[in-house]
Amino acid sequence: MWAQVINAILGIWLMASAAILGYSNIKIITDNEHIAGPVIASFAIISWWEATRVVRLYNVPLGLWLLLAPWVLGYDNTTATVNSMLVGALVTGLSFVKGKVEETYGGGWSAIWKSDSMHAREAKRQPRVDLDK
Amino acid sequence: MSKEDAIPPGWSYNPASWQQRLPIVIAALVGFAIATYLGLFQLKVIDTVWEPFFGNGSRKILTSKTSQILPVPDAVLGAIGYLVDALAGVIGGIRRWRTMPWIVIAFGLAVGPLGFVSVLLVVLQPVMYDAWCTLCLSTALISVVMIGPAMDEMLASLQYMKRVKDARVSMWKAFWGYKEVQGKVI
Repeated sequence: MWAQVINAILGIWLMASAAILGYSNIKIITDNEHIAGPVIASFAIISWWEATRVVRLYNVPLGLWLLLAPWVLGYDNTTATVNSMLVGALVTGLSFVKGKVEETYGGGWSAIWKSDSMHAREAKRQPRVDLDK
Repeated sequence: MSKEDAIPPGWSYNPASWQQRLPIVIAALVGFAIATYLGLFQLKVIDTVWEPFFGNGSRKILTSKTSQILPVPDAVLGAIGYLVDALAGVIGGIRRWRTMPWIVIAFGLAVGPLGFVSVLLVVLQPVMYDAWCTLCLSTALISVVMIGPAMDEMLASLQYMKRVKDARVSMWKAFWGYKEVQGKVI
């Protein structure tokens, strides 16, 4: 989970970095950061919980985009370029960190459409008690 | 499934327990309170809005064109959304993942889009209006934080619906929690 806490902070940092690093007059850079930042922070926060930990992977393309953005959008500000690439590299790397998953979830999301998954097997083994409540 | 904790098969805990649900309900109520306050400002019931960091930002955002795009100001709609989340979180007992899947799935579906719209509005603030609004950002954070903990319960209900389907029991009746199908599927 710590990795996704850092990614959430990095997303919020992106929202603030133009004002802090002093390039808030360049619209294309600030717009890109103000769009990517909240989205990265949201995906990271959703993946704090074990049942939705997989959402962290949605940040991989966003991290890669931050690595490319200075070249695709033609940033003419070195600070912004370094910031974007540094944050992009960190977000991409940390998105792959799964962290501990301690609880079990009946086979997870794929068990909704797959047959013979963990919850189905467990249900068959369980005695039928307490079902009229 | 033990009598006390109603844990879904294959799970290590019950996602519909009060200990799991109450924090989400409390978060939704806080969101409701803040959104109501912002909505009252938009409806001109109160004429100032609290803004500690971004100067004129809150006023700019809350009176922007985007916020008035629908007949009702957006914060009022947000307040209704949080209230629906709180109600959907509080209805039903600790077996509701199995006894009333409709409310659990409605809860998950209510929390999802509210979070999505919140993030969208956070993006629009600086991109379109070059301003931030502290309380709007706070409510967005609340709606994003609610998504994860609401999803595990929806997962338990969807897995139950899959077992209902495999057992060829009426999914319609199971979804609405008809008495006659209770107990046919664990």
